[in-house]
Amino acid sequence: MFDGLLMLGAGIAHFMTPGSLFNVVWATLLGLVIGILPGLTATMGVALLVTLTYKMQADQAILTLMCVYLGAIYGGSRTAILLNIPGTPANAAATLDGHPLALQGKAGLAMGLATTSSTLGTLVGIFFLAIIAPILSEAALKFGSYEFFWLALFGVVISGQMTGSDTPLKGYIAGILGLLVAMVGMETLHAYQRFTFGIPALGGGVDIIPAMVGAFGLAEILSSMKRTAVANIAPVNDRVVPTLREIFQYWKTIIRSGIIGTFVGIIPGVGEDVGSWTSYAAAKKASKHPEEFGKGSQEGLIAAETGDNAVVSAAMIPTLTLALPGSAAAAVLIAAMLIHGIRPGPMLMVENPIFLYQVVAMLLLATLANLIFGLSLTKLFIKVLTVPRERLMAVIYVLCVVGSFAITQRMFDVYVMLFFGVVGFLLREMKFPMAPLVLGIVLGDLLDLNLRRGLMLTNGDPTPFFTRPISAVICLIIVATILMSIPPVSKRVRNLFARRSGTADARG
Amino acid sequence: MSMPDTSEEAVRARADLITAFILVALGIAVTYASWTMDRLEVRRINPATIPGLVPLILGMALTLCGSLLLVRSWKLSAPGSGASLIRLMFSWTALRVLVVLGLALIFTLGLMGRVPFWLASGLFIFAFIMLFETVMADTPKPLVPALLWAVGIAAVGGGGTYYVFERIFLVRLP
Repeated sequence: MFDGLLMLGAGIAHFMTPGSLFNVVWATLLGLVIGILPGLTATMGVALLVTLTYKMQADQAILTLMCVYLGAIYGGSRTAILLNIPGTPANAAATLDGHPLALQGKAGLAMGLATTSSTLGTLVGIFFLAIIAPILSEAALKFGSYEFFWLALFGVVISGQMTGSDTPLKGYIAGILGLLVAMVGMETLHAYQRFTFGIPALGGGVDIIPAMVGAFGLAEILSSMKRTAVANIAPVNDRVVPTLREIFQYWKTIIRSGIIGTFVGIIPGVGEDVGSWTSYAAAKKASKHPEEFGKGSQEGLIAAETGDNAVVSAAMIPTLTLALPGSAAAAVLIAAMLIHGIRPGPMLMVENPIFLYQVVAMLLLATLANLIFGLSLTKLFIKVLTVPRERLMAVIYVLCVVGSFAITQRMFDVYVMLFFGVVGFLLREMKFPMAPLVLGIVLGDLLDLNLRRGLMLTNGDPTPFFTRPISAVICLIIVATILMSIPPVSKRVRNLFARRSGTADARG
Repeated sequence: MSMPDTSEEAVRARADLITAFILVALGIAVTYASWTMDRLEVRRINPATIPGLVPLILGMALTLCGSLLLVRSWKLSAPGSGASLIRLMFSWTALRVLVVLGLALIFTLGLMGRVPFWLASGLFIFAFIMLFETVMADTPKPLVPALLWAVGIAAVGGGGTYYVFERIFLVRLP
């Protein structure tokens, strides 16, 4: 317990240098600008920045990326409030009450509430990160190939189930496609080259960074340029800094949304948008004034913004302890950590325990910077909103090219970016979610290697995959998740529960 | 107000139907390629650990999910949605996307490597802004301001990228 506190103190002290603080300032400002600009997402920002941080020290590079990530998720709320367009997908729920508040002449209050609730959400997430991560990390040391196989599959399945907007089927398909992409190249068990079609560059497999830059960079540029309508910015005439009473009268909502966001963040591949919507729905259900939701409810805005920011911190729990990305941006962070020689996973707490607390310190610094800039630089951020996308997107594409080329310096990676950009755009247009695809690419190798390694250990006998206690539990959850996504099954189960609660009500 | 939504859904269902056919074909191709993949018998590996095992399972899963999507979109398909899909493919928004993609391809496959990176990116940015602020815009801007902005951003964007990446962060550019 005290070891943890000491390491946290050391983590914070580590970044109390002018150089680190300078990185916090510019990276947070950049993240805020990325979040504010519609069409630029947090994942895109982090993926593009990996190149820029490539020559930095590992801790400074991850600090920079973390500040961009958190800044972008928070910055998107500005756009949601003033333009009624979510700056990043995470802020979609914030438009529902944020923009009506702005139209009522309370844009400043809405921005202030969004800023403070974002900070509080991050703090709740950080609290759980500091507590849960070491425990989970220790438990994960007992995991073998069998458990890691199921965990990888669980990540892809649950992400597919929860992010498939049209039907979970599309989420599953996106996940399978991602896993198939990961099958390309040399496999690690027997060093056999799969699906390379005689192309030497495919031997090393598809790199995650160019694929992400394509799927989140070029695809976003295409989506953004497709739209022709331009929204109007709501005026800001009131004060931005909220009073303590305005915030803390909703303390229950803040804690509830923070916990929901944390839970969503821990689930692999389920990102900030799900955290935000779930918190919003829960707040509406528990609210004394549910009728105000969607018409400018302060509680609704607080729930949405606390929920999505809690996800960012909590997403670091599976990312650091199990190497299972908690969100799409966390997948890029894993790739960045590997580039800088940091190996996330159960061994992290053994090999580099201070790093976990450094991440906690990074999140604390980033959220503090968000709070300060968010409450003080309102006018500057409104200016950012007026930048026409025609003038911006061309520069972003140039950055996409540089971002995909610079790490391994191969033109092949630029072609990978182009391919994923076009395919990602088409899939997105047809409502296929991107998160399971990304998770599939990241987890494909883990899934493949651990399934076959497990089978090798047992000489081809699959029984331990089903009989080891943790394996059996994860396997059951996966089966239940898939069954629940079949409409007739989920309908029957829901009816069953409705009938039971109905009987209980009647008895009560 | 509900009409466009219904039609959008119907168009998506038709697009899903086409995608489902492609996915099923891809699933069958992956299954076949995995089944016929070298099983490394010469190296006497355990037959349960053949390299094609996971791709085979994934190929079958993709075929299954693709077939389910096919059935679903077949049920949702409405008469006339095919024509709406074709109209969408030849719409103004589709043209905007194609122009962006065309410019990106010319820049990436045509210019890069043939001219210095700062010049290639400058030309790309200039052409992009000029096109989307004038002929491709819904409300075109006057030519002279658009030209000035395009030249300015192209110079700052092309030169700035070169300077920041290659000089400050010491990253090699294409």
